[in-house]
Amino acid sequence: MRERIAVIDGLRTPMAKASGKLKNMQAESLCAHVVSEVALRVGLDFDSYDEVIIGNVAQPAHAANIARVIALKAGFGEHVPAYTVHRNCASGMESITTATDKILSGRGEIYMAGGVESMSNIPIFFNKKMSALFEGLFRSKSFIEKIKTLSHFTPSHLIPVVGLMQGLTDPLTGLNMGNTAEILAQDFGISRREQDEFALASHSKAERAQKDGIFAHEIAPIIRNAQRGEIMVDDDGIRHGQNMESLTKLRPFFDKRNGTVTAGNSSQISDAAAAVVLMSESKAKEMGLTPLGYVKEYAYAGLDPSRMGLGPAYSTAKILEMTGMKMSDIELIELNEAFAAQVIANLAAFESKKYAQTHLNRTEALGSIDTNILNVNGGGIALGHPVGMTGTRLVIHTLKELRRRNKNVGLATLCIGGGQGASLILEVE
Amino acid sequence: MSAFNLHVDNEIATLMFDMPDSNVNLLSISVMQELESHLDKLKSQKDIDVLLFRSAKEGIFIAGADISEIQSLNNEQEAHDIVKQGQMILSKIRALPFYTIAVIDGACLGGGFELALSCNYRISTQNPKTKIGLPEVNLGVLPGFGGTQNLKHLIGKQKALELILGAKMINGLKAEKLKMVDACVPVGYLDFKLDSFIQAVLDDKERAKIDARRYKKNLLERFAPDLIYHFALKEVMKKTKGNYPAPLEVIELFKKTDKLPMNEALSLEVYAFARLSVTEVSKNLISLFYASEKLKHDKFVKDGIAPQYIENVGVIGGGVMGGGIVWLFSKIDKFVRLKDLNYDAIAASFKPISKAYSEVVKRKRLTKREVELKMGHISYTTDYKGFHNADIVVEAVIENTEIKQSVYKDLEDVVKEDCVIASNTSSLSISMLSEGMEKPERFIGMHFFNPVARMPLVEVIAGDKTSDETIATVIKLARDSGKTVILVGDCAGFLVNRILLTYINECVRMFREGASIVYIDETIEEFGMPMGPFTLADEVGLDVGYKVSQVLEEAYGKRMTVSPILKEIIEMKLLGKKGKKGFYVYNGKEKHINKEIVSIQPRSRPYSKPEIIDRAMLIMINEAARVLDEKIIKDASQLDMAMIMGTGFPPFRGGLLKYADSLGIEKVHMLLVQLEEKYGERFEPARLIVEMADNKETFYKG
Repeated sequence: MRERIAVIDGLRTPMAKASGKLKNMQAESLCAHVVSEVALRVGLDFDSYDEVIIGNVAQPAHAANIARVIALKAGFGEHVPAYTVHRNCASGMESITTATDKILSGRGEIYMAGGVESMSNIPIFFNKKMSALFEGLFRSKSFIEKIKTLSHFTPSHLIPVVGLMQGLTDPLTGLNMGNTAEILAQDFGISRREQDEFALASHSKAERAQKDGIFAHEIAPIIRNAQRGEIMVDDDGIRHGQNMESLTKLRPFFDKRNGTVTAGNSSQISDAAAAVVLMSESKAKEMGLTPLGYVKEYAYAGLDPSRMGLGPAYSTAKILEMTGMKMSDIELIELNEAFAAQVIANLAAFESKKYAQTHLNRTEALGSIDTNILNVNGGGIALGHPVGMTGTRLVIHTLKELRRRNKNVGLATLCIGGGQGASLILEVE
Repeated sequence: MSAFNLHVDNEIATLMFDMPDSNVNLLSISVMQELESHLDKLKSQKDIDVLLFRSAKEGIFIAGADISEIQSLNNEQEAHDIVKQGQMILSKIRALPFYTIAVIDGACLGGGFELALSCNYRISTQNPKTKIGLPEVNLGVLPGFGGTQNLKHLIGKQKALELILGAKMINGLKAEKLKMVDACVPVGYLDFKLDSFIQAVLDDKERAKIDARRYKKNLLERFAPDLIYHFALKEVMKKTKGNYPAPLEVIELFKKTDKLPMNEALSLEVYAFARLSVTEVSKNLISLFYASEKLKHDKFVKDGIAPQYIENVGVIGGGVMGGGIVWLFSKIDKFVRLKDLNYDAIAASFKPISKAYSEVVKRKRLTKREVELKMGHISYTTDYKGFHNADIVVEAVIENTEIKQSVYKDLEDVVKEDCVIASNTSSLSISMLSEGMEKPERFIGMHFFNPVARMPLVEVIAGDKTSDETIATVIKLARDSGKTVILVGDCAGFLVNRILLTYINECVRMFREGASIVYIDETIEEFGMPMGPFTLADEVGLDVGYKVSQVLEEAYGKRMTVSPILKEIIEMKLLGKKGKKGFYVYNGKEKHINKEIVSIQPRSRPYSKPEIIDRAMLIMINEAARVLDEKIIKDASQLDMAMIMGTGFPPFRGGLLKYADSLGIEKVHMLLVQLEEKYGERFEPARLIVEMADNKETFYKG
């Protein structure tokens, strides 16, 4: 058995609705804040880190290799290398598992890993026609030539390409992520009401957790507007007093005629960053540190891109096989809520023997998910899903919640756009 | 020993300036004579096409004239003759039968730039040490080696005036933009860029191109120069209230020489220099220049004590002072961690931090990107997590002994062994505060002034047990952040507040006796203080001032009794500018006298200006004498620097004690005796003053 990887501590920024409170902060600033805060709280010398690895999906054009920008902004010395990883919605988990591999292979001992997404700042592009017009304009030499080029302009040149929508669309199937959720709803016959009820539960669980100060243990408040002296302390996606009536009123977003997936039962688009400090269990012991918990094992698995939402079933099947564990061994589950339909589909797939046999190459069902230990403090529907960041948040939250509940074994899993799933077995003590 | 090496190679002569036994090059009288003999010989040499002026010093072309020689000038005629001679020597450069080029890689100031201006061409580098300018007015004189005239013809009247009046020292690229130099090149390219520049100068066509790039007179300069002088004068009067003769002489000289032929103009320049060089203001400014240089290099502790390197700074309390301190240290790229009681308080402290930065951006000292990076290095917390790596923690919580001491106790539990703990207290005793600390040797006072961003002084206060390492570390840190540091003894109010509050208190007494607030403020401003005592009190906050005054009364007794009317004013909830009402009422940018305050004045009577000034200044001089006697500070010149940096005491007067010297100590003594008779024992002459008056001594010896 491989050595466990210790998560010394982890923090995240509050999660802000996109185009809202954190819209004026670029991804690198968001993440640098939380990286430096977690490093300071953990208390190791910045120079003792071997590398900084950050997951990010949108990869802003102004900060190529954003991890390096983050590391330097956060106060790491110039000699500490840094790089960015990308595995779509699991980028914030990829940074952790990459560091895990590096530690286990002896490439380094102490890693800062994290994830960030500023979905507010994903740009809107000019379309191809407009780009061609600009190119023509640069090439035109005389004034007359320029006028001639400009005369080709039509209003259709101004139709923008929305980077965010493009990013959330699978390039091979042409399906938006929401459409893949619609497919799952159809496959498993999940009604609109079921989805809305799931969404409502997510909000009410998150609302209660926020009131109880559970999130405060993982949040590093962030100055969001220094000029006006404004700080953000809490997540702002949670709808206090959310009810079925207002959820029912929403129109389907992706399939406007027959669809069941709405903005209300999907994860929110948001801005946030998270980071953890990683090292081997023995190293932590040697340094006299008390880790928050451990990464015992991880697994990624691939599946049909048009049903990417079922990724957790695939990757969890793999990780159970690798560890010889059963679902009943697991005391707490964080399964990212990309869409209510997608989580419900997983519940069905996990407990179905038939699904296990036809898709997971198993004779028996994976084992049912006890909804009492699933997303106990809400999930992406209430809190938001800043794609590159969520993976790291799930790890931090699972570990802190395990500790709070005095439990030992947790599963953090999420579905990944493009048809993948990620699962981590996390342990406390 | 010779200061110049002449070297001719392939028709290109290089006069290398390398003053022996010195890090800098200065144009002293003897150096100028040596230069003259070189020029006289070169004049008839036939094998030279180009003469280069270069410096062998690192980071210095020529730092200027020898200031000590200017300082020793006491006779106008002698000054005239010396400067005339220098002017004549530099004009010989112009008269050489070949081209001359100044190669400026490093500081090129005052007489140094005047030498460069006497050359046909100038090439500079982008070396950050390359600073070019004519800062003579800072020393109360003006450029006397033809600088005013040559610069005027090179870059135009308006820009020349701006440069000279502002005593600006600008970098190579900016100098190129202003056409003060003909080329500015990266320092690593200097060798081959210089070669091609020389070739260009020697080629008629290429040289014409260089000449064509020079400044061309605009319409304003040609037809309405008076307008330029008018605005320049207005600006100078606004800034100096006419207390500094040098800028006025510069404008007058420009006016008078506007249409004069060069030789007559140069002669007027010499006369103007001679007049200025013997003024008291110039002597005061030069002596302050030396005092400031000396202070900058004063180690304050014995040799061999190395300051600790500071990378991480903790600040406790994000109020006005704490916020300012956070800003200052983040600006010099320290990692700053701010702790306050709650996140709202933290958020509020970011407002002034951000404002201070936006002012820096406005002045183009930093870019927005740089500011974002620096601000990103500020972290914040409501507990002591993350303080373990702090190299120093500055406490800036409210002035309350128990609260401060409990902070130190908490800190000692979390910080590392050698972390310095500094208090920004403005009046509490450092030794007293350190009682109960496990390691009092790491504890020290680091008193910043409000607003931190603008006030250049930091008082460092060592307690009984403060170690030399701690002192050295704090001094280095304050200097690295661009502040002037004085080390003062541990007494209530330390140096600046102890002296300054006697004066504010005295002014409040005069008001109580019937003097007009506005009239006192005007009189004191005319004397040269940047603002009158009542405006200052409003700025600081009357409650803050009152609190410090109470501490002082407690420590020094009767002579520091707080004027009772101040208490009345505080009880009326008049707290100064922050509450929009104090001695004045503030309405946007306007301020008017506060009628509420005038109404509690028991009576009113006219005061004469000398009466006001004597009472206001003598009470300070008397207290300063005590401070000096108690060895709270090293010497009179440091005390004067502190009062200038900490209160804006007018530099043209040379400082508080210099002013006392200029009155004459016997007169000071006599006036104090008179005031004591009239107003009581707070004017009782200090022991040191009595002694000095008896022995006919002055604060500044020699």
